[in-house]
Amino acid sequence: MNNRNDLKSLELTVGDVFSKNARLKARNVNVFYGNNKAIDNVTIDIGSKEVISFIGPSGCGKSTFLRCFNRMNDTIDSCVVQGEITIDDENIYDKKIDVVPLRARIGMVFQKPNPFPKSIYDNVAYGPRIHGLSENKEHLDVIVEESLKRAGLWQEVSDRLQSPGTGLSGGQQQRLCIARAIAVSPEVILMDEPCSALDPIATAKIEDLIHELGNDYSIVIVTHSMQQAARVSKRTAYFHLGKLIEVGKTKEIFTRPQHHQTEAYISGKIG
Amino acid sequence: MNNKIITPLEASNKVKKSIAKRRAKDNRLKLYGRVAISLAVCFLLILFYSIFSKGYSGFFQYYVTLDINFDRERIDPKGDLSDNSLFDGEASKIVNESLFSIIQPQGRKAKKQAKKIVSSGKDVRIAKMVKNDPSLFGTTTKVKFALDDDIDSFLRGYIKRETPESERRISNKIIEYIDKLNEEGRISYEFSDYILSGSASGNPEMAGIKGAFIGSMLTLSVCLLIAFPLGVATAIYLEEVAKKNKITEFIEVNINNLAAVPSVVFGIMGLAIFISIFGMPRSIPLVGGMVLALMTLPTIIISSRAAIRAVPPSVRDAAYGIGASKLQVIFHHVIPLAMPGMLTGTIIGMAQALGETAPLLMIGMVAFIVDVPNSIVDPGTVLPVQIFMWADFAERMFIQKTSAAIIVLLGFLISMNALAVYLRKKLERRW
Repeated sequence: MNNRNDLKSLELTVGDVFSKNARLKARNVNVFYGNNKAIDNVTIDIGSKEVISFIGPSGCGKSTFLRCFNRMNDTIDSCVVQGEITIDDENIYDKKIDVVPLRARIGMVFQKPNPFPKSIYDNVAYGPRIHGLSENKEHLDVIVEESLKRAGLWQEVSDRLQSPGTGLSGGQQQRLCIARAIAVSPEVILMDEPCSALDPIATAKIEDLIHELGNDYSIVIVTHSMQQAARVSKRTAYFHLGKLIEVGKTKEIFTRPQHHQTEAYISGKIG
Repeated sequence: MNNKIITPLEASNKVKKSIAKRRAKDNRLKLYGRVAISLAVCFLLILFYSIFSKGYSGFFQYYVTLDINFDRERIDPKGDLSDNSLFDGEASKIVNESLFSIIQPQGRKAKKQAKKIVSSGKDVRIAKMVKNDPSLFGTTTKVKFALDDDIDSFLRGYIKRETPESERRISNKIIEYIDKLNEEGRISYEFSDYILSGSASGNPEMAGIKGAFIGSMLTLSVCLLIAFPLGVATAIYLEEVAKKNKITEFIEVNINNLAAVPSVVFGIMGLAIFISIFGMPRSIPLVGGMVLALMTLPTIIISSRAAIRAVPPSVRDAAYGIGASKLQVIFHHVIPLAMPGMLTGTIIGMAQALGETAPLLMIGMVAFIVDVPNSIVDPGTVLPVQIFMWADFAERMFIQKTSAAIIVLLGFLISMNALAVYLRKKLERRW
């Protein structure tokens, strides 16, 4: 599979799509919405404990592709995914795979902060509860506290865990969502433009958090902001009209893009 | 043609000019709205005023107070207070004697007429009294008896003294007796003890709505227990589980059509299926409830689906994203968030069912049933059918009884709607 000659997509993609210690591997992935092809033959590896960002103009399919990794596209009736995506060499689109444990392994943070209309505590505790991760109440308390600490929210909310999660500010809500995602100890976290609804200060906090979390998790972040991609990720993938145009080290993508379309986007000519 | 670009000054002048026009339009719209609302409120007030002002007298009736000698030998000949013994007793005779001692009727014909002054429920009343309190035996106590409905109507002024005797429902003699009783201060106008605690009766002065009220409660409970779970489950299935294809589309269209089917059709269906095919008894609240459940199902399904659709997709995404199964997403997130809307729809459906007459006529709930139903398989009737029946009776007094029953039905409806508002407020998450 890793033989480059097998892969048609390489005719398109410039740069190094492969990773030495790959955790997630996508091979020749096509996504259709009805008759509309949203992702065209994308192949990419996502390494272990790597922060990779997907950039590209609006409607280029980066969010769609992100949602393939935890099969969130299953919830859309007309959406069909072809090709192969593996996590630790296990095809997640295999018929035998159950999406419930898969989504516990691959967490997701959405564009708009979407805490449940429940208390802060219950928001974080929800995942561990449904997956049966905690043995008892004390253990659950520890999980909640630890998750909130890692999400950098503990100091702000430790005295009001029972107040509603939706009462927090936008940035706090997004960190609460990150805490909720890491409470089930996932291996990969997918972030779909996590800062697009936030002000610069909240954004900075989230970016710091991504930096830190990058030490323990593989993080895939879709972003509209090239500066953000440059700040948080080691690798960057550029999508255009459903195709993966170029993948490479973030520094190189932003300083020496090889593909003319990437260059055009980076320099602000398209997008 | 003046095609040049207008200057900011011109623009602002033009805006100023147009603003007056726009304001006027706004104000006119506001005015129309206010007129419409005040008209609606006005009509509502008139409606309530006319119902309550005319109907409240249905809760009252005329009574005559008589001195009753509770002679055990005569009332309870066997001395064991059993229904049998009390039935053999002479309670009616004692009441008549007491009445005659006041009005002194002369001759057989006069006595026969005079007997009718006190309602025929007098022996039942005495039997009830001694059963509740046997220590009454041996005493002479003042007891109030309902007056016959014609006399009640006479006292209310519906039957006029000036009308020639041949055209009047009560004779001159009776009027004479009534005047006598009135002079002695024995006639009183009081809150009726029959209207709320009695059930159907051919004697209007003794007719009450208890049977119909209980019947309505039982029927609605059956309806709720069937329609709510079924409706909510259907809505959840159609919205959350079923794939969108031709079959679900067909089902959807049909549910929407069912909501517009005249209710009497559901009654015919109930008659054909529940009674003819399954051989269930007629007139029972169980069948009534099932028929009404069929009728309310579309309402509940449609409102529940709207409520489910109103649950923000972000909440669903969040739950799916963390690995909740479909069932967990539905039960932990969708249902709690959609519950206020579902309940509102359900209670509106129930209120509709409460006021429904036609389908229940079809399944025989229009029968004349004296006993109060004790369970969902006892024959019974419901409030709107009772109103329908009373409105049809010839006796003058049933008009007031009908109005009183309408007030009770309205009260029932208003309290149900109040419950809907309360539940919605309580369950709605404001966060």
